[in-house]
Amino acid sequence: MNSMNKKIFNEIKAIFKNIEFTDIDERKYSVIIPKEKAVSFLETLKRKGFSHMSLITCIDWIAEKEFEIVYTLFNWETGTTLMVKTRVDRDNPILPTVMEIWPTAKYYERDIHEFFGVKFEGNPDLRPLILEKWEEIPPMRKDFDSAKYSKEHFPDRAYDVDFLLEGSESNE
Amino acid sequence: MSKEVKLFLGPNHPGMHGNSSVHLYVEGDTVVKARLVPGFLHRGFEKLMEKRLWFQNLALIPRICVPEPDINEMVFAMAIESLTKTEIPERAHWIRMIILELARIASHLMAMGGIGGATGLYTMPYWTMPDRDRILDIFEKITGARIYHMYIIPGGVRKDLPGGIEKEILAVLDYLESRKPEYENLLLKHRVIRTRTKGIAKLTKEEALEMGVTGVGLRATGLPYDIRKIDPYARYDKVEFSVPTATEGDAYARFTLKYLEVQQSINIIRQCIDMMPKEGPVNIKFTRGSALRLRVPAGSIYCHVESSRGEYGYFVVSDGGEMPYRIHVRGASYPQGLYGVESKLPGTRLEDVALWLGTMDFCSPEIDR
Repeated sequence: MNSMNKKIFNEIKAIFKNIEFTDIDERKYSVIIPKEKAVSFLETLKRKGFSHMSLITCIDWIAEKEFEIVYTLFNWETGTTLMVKTRVDRDNPILPTVMEIWPTAKYYERDIHEFFGVKFEGNPDLRPLILEKWEEIPPMRKDFDSAKYSKEHFPDRAYDVDFLLEGSESNE
Repeated sequence: MSKEVKLFLGPNHPGMHGNSSVHLYVEGDTVVKARLVPGFLHRGFEKLMEKRLWFQNLALIPRICVPEPDINEMVFAMAIESLTKTEIPERAHWIRMIILELARIASHLMAMGGIGGATGLYTMPYWTMPDRDRILDIFEKITGARIYHMYIIPGGVRKDLPGGIEKEILAVLDYLESRKPEYENLLLKHRVIRTRTKGIAKLTKEEALEMGVTGVGLRATGLPYDIRKIDPYARYDKVEFSVPTATEGDAYARFTLKYLEVQQSINIIRQCIDMMPKEGPVNIKFTRGSALRLRVPAGSIYCHVESSRGEYGYFVVSDGGEMPYRIHVRGASYPQGLYGVESKLPGTRLEDVALWLGTMDFCSPEIDR
């Protein structure tokens, strides 16, 4: 861990107790925080230099009955990537929005709401973004069976090769 | 008297970049409100990747975005190498850089040609597309394919460069440089381009940072932020190149930067050919036996590279199995395509909408995934 990052992380640790930064390699770190602290924690990180939000993503840990939301931040000054992870209950997934910190988060949250069903409180627009006429459970969840969905919604089509047979007959 | 009219730009429209639709609410010829409607190209890549073995995914991922597919292979390979803690041979790093920079030039040329449609200067695509084709010829000789190369694999590159290819690459680079005066006259000094793009689709430094815009869009506001410099991967820390910036933040600035970056890429490739080890292994075997049965240790990682459109990254999660547990594709066009369209198009004139989409490097499959 270089001195610049050490300084930033120590300042953050002074504000938020019991936070541990894990090194992945020299320019990548991850940290786990409880969801109640997420917004104020991210706001602090933004002020400390992690100004660029690369993406917000969601992982469905179905065996543990939890969704993991990961905010990936990047510091343009030091070239450091930080993955901020937080977990929510799978049956009642509600998180506060971070739109006030990064306006673009509006679309990432809409995306996650559509594909995982996680609700973001304070995001005014959680309408479907990409899918059309979707009535099943959110499709990126691990218990969504894509093969079954395809069987139910799209007819089996026999592969019609009549025109080829005609051609081959004339060749014989 | 003015009346608000709703107009549909796309999904299939010459001014549109890829299959996405923009709903424009127009008063006179000024846009009042704009909404992007993505989803026409949604093919469920992220879900498909969860159902395929790690190595099978190599055939799938380059298909996410056509102009520059190699960056997908690169971030995927970087993520697996990071999770498995693998060091790849030195020569592979340099070959990867050559491939990535060639792809970058090809993508920039395609994007520069794309402005032709938006401004009505159709000479541009007629010039840039054949020049791009020369690079595709090189790709065909190296990898056997013109667009989807599947050349950069976890552990290195698929096979060594064919003998004598360096000469051919240098010949193409020489040719591109010899075109410089003509390109400058047509692309940068032409009156149509200057009147149509100067002062149009402006973005300030604060807005760019707030929105998470990367790449040319951010550099046109004066910030020299390039992932190749700030978070170097492969051997970008060993080569010398500069990051062109501008301060205007308008369409003309972005367009000029693209042109200047082609020159930088040419410089990088020349250095790579000089500095790379002349022989040696180009890949490593991951496991004993078949690479298809690769198992990646449990963990998660985010890897990103500088694509021609900005920051391109994969968030890869493994649970230790034979298939990825979850992969999230971060496209560079996401912020400027969705939030940017909604917040920046209102107030622009109708004919300049395509200029925002063209110079901000909007690529709809990156949004739809």
